[in-house]
Amino acid sequence: MWRRAVGLLLLSAAGAVIGMAASVTFTTDKIGASTVTVPRCTAASLTVLQNLTATTITSVTVGAIPSACGGATLQVTVNNGTTNSSGSAAVPAGGGSVTVTLAVAQAVSATEETDLVLVGP
Amino acid sequence: MKPRALRTAAALGALLVTLTALTSSAASLSLTSQNFTPYLTCTVTATPATTTAVIDTTVKQGNANGNFGAVNTFTVSSGNTVNQRIYIKFDLTTCSPAIPATATVRLATLRLYVTVLPAACRTIDIFPVTASWTELAITWNTQPFGTTINNPASGSRTGTFNVGTPAGCQNLAAGYVVGATVTTDVQAFVAGSSTNFGWMLRDDVEGSATTRTDTYSAKELATIAQEPQLVVTYVTVP
Repeated sequence: MWRRAVGLLLLSAAGAVIGMAASVTFTTDKIGASTVTVPRCTAASLTVLQNLTATTITSVTVGAIPSACGGATLQVTVNNGTTNSSGSAAVPAGGGSVTVTLAVAQAVSATEETDLVLVGP
Repeated sequence: MKPRALRTAAALGALLVTLTALTSSAASLSLTSQNFTPYLTCTVTATPATTTAVIDTTVKQGNANGNFGAVNTFTVSSGNTVNQRIYIKFDLTTCSPAIPATATVRLATLRLYVTVLPAACRTIDIFPVTASWTELAITWNTQPFGTTINNPASGSRTGTFNVGTPAGCQNLAAGYVVGATVTTDVQAFVAGSSTNFGWMLRDDVEGSATTRTDTYSAKELATIAQEPQLVVTYVTVP
């Protein structure tokens, strides 16, 4: 019974959307394109330090994060050319330093790529 | 396996844009976005000990025709006719993915593990090398900067750090030194405006009456936790 009710509810919502879409009118025959800079919390010189246990990278410490990034989520992926592993952690309100533990320790190689993404705040 | 999705996201720098409203006019289409700050880092580490991605050695005034490219340590020393300099180079072409020539280098850090510190706080100067050299051939007499001490002048250094045991010195205990920033040089290497021949490190004042020496772990030591590293953090979207 409840499934039927949910179904009706979804159908009603879909109908509403369709109704709105049907009312869209184009007032111009030209379509423009533009590029908008995605907002970033910083362009600072973040420090990146791999933390080792024996011959593997177990975590990455990212430092010098400004307070503007406080509350963001820091996502880290380390790729050693063979495998990769990720982790994430919250940035403290005041910024500073964050250590992200990798899901799987990565063997140290001659060259590693570390991708950092600050999402938010 | 490469983290393609994340790298693509970093390259585009434009994910997380979401449609929030569609109203009766196309002109009123609105978008909202979220801060999205991608950085990429390439870390070049002198491992294994046989790698050619990193070459390092010492040239010694006191053994001017000797080559020390196969030694487990390298040293900077200031003394009366016994000055020593470090030559070190990291091959940035080993970075995968390659660092684009258009990339903006946010920070490049030279990481050297110091094992023996001088009793006086010494300033170490970093100079980009301007001619090629090889690890197993370079000597004091054949080094690109020549045999004159205190040359090139300190004013042309592109990086510097302090090392020594006295309190207040920037690096006063064994471990990776801090402060050896080479961002400007690496930006030029990446952009192609100068060729990467590595760096020469020397004491800021060579020819000290009292010999002052600092010793670092070389790649030949084969101890991963002490290997020379170059850490380059950059963005592909300014």
